[in-house]
Amino acid sequence: MLAVLRQCLGLFNRIPADKAERLIHEAPLLAIDLELTSLDSAKAKVTSVGWVEGLGNTINLDSCFYSVVRASGDFAQSPVIHGLIQEHIAGGKHVRDVLKRLKTYADTHIWVFHNANLDLSILQRVFADTGIHCPPVMFIDTLKLAVYQLKKYHQILPPNSATLSVCRQRLGLPAAPAHNALDDAMATLQLWIAQNHALNGSKAIRFGDLLHTRAVDYRKMEKK
Amino acid sequence: MSVLPQQVTDFLKTSAPFDQLSDADMSDLAKYASLIYLTEENQDTLLEENAGRLFLIQNGQFSVRDSEEGERHLSEGDYFGYHQLIDNISYPLTVKVDKPGLVFCFTAEAFKRAMDLPAVNDFFHGSRADALQNQAVNDSNSMWLYKALNDVIAGTPVQASQNVTIRDAANVMAQNKVSSLLITRNDKLVGIVTDRDLRNRVVAKATDITLPVHTIMTRTPAMLHQYRTMFDAMALMTERNIHHLPVVDRNSRKPLGMITTSDVVRHQRGNVLFIIGELAKADNLYELTRLSWQMPHYFATHAKRLGDFDIAGKVLSQATDIMTRKLIYFYQREHGPAPIKFSWVVYGSQAREDQTMGSDQDNGLLLETMPDHAEGQYFEALSAYVCNGLAKCGIKLCDGNIMASNPALRLSLKQAEGEAKEWVRQPTPAAIMHFNIFLDARCAAGDTDLFHCLQRLRAPVLKQKIFLAALARHNNDVSVPLSMFQKFVYEKGYEHKDTIDLKVKAVAVINNLARIYALASGLTVPATLSRLAALPAGAGLSTKDAQNLRDIWLFLNRLRWRHQLTNKVTDNRVRVSDLSSIEKHQLKAAFKAIERAQQGAVMHFSGGMS
Repeated sequence: MLAVLRQCLGLFNRIPADKAERLIHEAPLLAIDLELTSLDSAKAKVTSVGWVEGLGNTINLDSCFYSVVRASGDFAQSPVIHGLIQEHIAGGKHVRDVLKRLKTYADTHIWVFHNANLDLSILQRVFADTGIHCPPVMFIDTLKLAVYQLKKYHQILPPNSATLSVCRQRLGLPAAPAHNALDDAMATLQLWIAQNHALNGSKAIRFGDLLHTRAVDYRKMEKK
Repeated sequence: MSVLPQQVTDFLKTSAPFDQLSDADMSDLAKYASLIYLTEENQDTLLEENAGRLFLIQNGQFSVRDSEEGERHLSEGDYFGYHQLIDNISYPLTVKVDKPGLVFCFTAEAFKRAMDLPAVNDFFHGSRADALQNQAVNDSNSMWLYKALNDVIAGTPVQASQNVTIRDAANVMAQNKVSSLLITRNDKLVGIVTDRDLRNRVVAKATDITLPVHTIMTRTPAMLHQYRTMFDAMALMTERNIHHLPVVDRNSRKPLGMITTSDVVRHQRGNVLFIIGELAKADNLYELTRLSWQMPHYFATHAKRLGDFDIAGKVLSQATDIMTRKLIYFYQREHGPAPIKFSWVVYGSQAREDQTMGSDQDNGLLLETMPDHAEGQYFEALSAYVCNGLAKCGIKLCDGNIMASNPALRLSLKQAEGEAKEWVRQPTPAAIMHFNIFLDARCAAGDTDLFHCLQRLRAPVLKQKIFLAALARHNNDVSVPLSMFQKFVYEKGYEHKDTIDLKVKAVAVINNLARIYALASGLTVPATLSRLAALPAGAGLSTKDAQNLRDIWLFLNRLRWRHQLTNKVTDNRVRVSDLSSIEKHQLKAAFKAIERAQQGAVMHFSGGMS
């Protein structure tokens, strides 16, 4: 009965049943962060990408990846924040090479973002632009999970209460330098692990169990 | 491509000894590391998965047992699991998670590679030794002598390679305005050239100044590594009759600096004992006050290591004694000698020799007999002069008027004995509050025999059981600042929310305990540590408990001295947020031990057995 219900919910959420049934602590994770030229998902260009892999409560430092992505045209003020200068960006990898590498994780890993909507819609667009086919991905959004938790206590969220650094602080994680793609990816992965611990303790839970938080979802990477 | 998040490198760069690693060695170490989020629920699995690794805590709090040494309370920046890697013995590892957090796990291979570096090797072997020696006692007599050379040397030493010419070497010395030059081969110290060598071996013998400098240098000169002390340096310089002593790195023998005789003199001047010497030379009130006012500054500059704080109270009390004796001498120089015998008796912290910067003066006069009118006037004027003089020297006047200038505290021997009998007759809580301070007494100036006479008369009176029982019960009224759930209870109504008055809540309680046991045994020494050490067998306090109280007392004393010197205050309200995580653990343990000792004393003295 429960399985049927889960399946219905899964259909509703577009999540295949086998994925929803997966135990969280057994699924390889990939936390990803993109640095962008703007926050407008229709126009933003990717300037750098960072990611790191994890499994359960362990983060594998050997898996850290960071690449500056080559881009052309002018960009808004964002590179100033991220400490990148034109020179770095011109010398970076082509976005195609990074995407080819990233798509190999699509089927195997659960992707982890802080604010998945922004990063995923941009990834969808660049995958489409470069003509690279990426399988659909299952992902966790630590921002949504934080909002789910905060809403238990606040009707209206206090300003800035769900930023990556504030969420980390709330769970007692150490302060981390922000605005570098790899650092933010690492910070996000740690945040997820701490959130999962705070929420579920040691219970062996499945992704389907988190659907009510809206923090877990499944998305096709083709542009609609 | 090997990349690491900045948060990882930032953290490792602040974690001794890995802060010493080059960037390449650092990424080599971190590359094969993993970062785990260790919680009570997952620790069994994670520790098994990471068995045989070195753990470094980034945040969280853990109680760890990883060797035969017993449980250690660890937090940010602490390591565990290294014992088995060093000893090659697999000790069972048990961890209790007090607060979950991130922990780095380094592989055994990466750790062994890092151990090839002397700095890393020293660190881990050193932290083992520290963990073993849990004793707080260090009877250093003068702080400056025990300063590590590392803290004394300033700037890189002037040096030259052994192959430069004598002329070039002399030029380097001239340009740097130094009288000695260190000579190196492959950056290692191999010799030294001094002005005297240039005079005796070059000028006097008309040596060719284009020859390499190693032809005239003193080979394999005396040298010390950076962790030796000023004391070692002085001893070596005296023994060899040399004025320049190179300091080299313990492992690489690379020159780090030079100690010269003028450094020794300068440090001698910058030392608290030096100030005492100077105080003793002061010939008038002006000089005495000028020197006295420098004392806080001297303490702030020269008491750095925790061990220094152990003797700071003693040094300060000795200085106050000297000031007192000087002031009495100045007065008598003007007004003639005292008409009858007297003792200048000091009470409380000065008697116990544990004064701090905030201690005020507590003193009184003991007179041989009842003074007549003229004699009374002499002592009244003397007391006023000395008390005001001490105040001018920075030892505050006593708010409670426990000063010789108060006529009630100028007593004849007979009156003083009668006073003690009065205390014993009615030891009400209010009375104890009043007379407790007089039970720690010491003769700082005047006639010592007179004071000893009083002590002999008083000892049997103060030994009475009912009296001691009242003292023990009174001391039990102070409760240690721990809640039922072992959380700190803070003082209310102060600017900082997390302060504990270590004097009132802890140090004074131990002082009281030591006093009660000392009175019961008829001991007359006033210092808390001396009392604890001198308690005879059967005094009611076991040797182990006495040693434990001594260690706790020293620990608390260190914390309050550090608080006063670093925050430039004279109170004892130590902020818990200023303590390291280990110190918080230790402080809680100390409070619990004090509480047990308080109850033990009540049981011992008023257990209804008498």
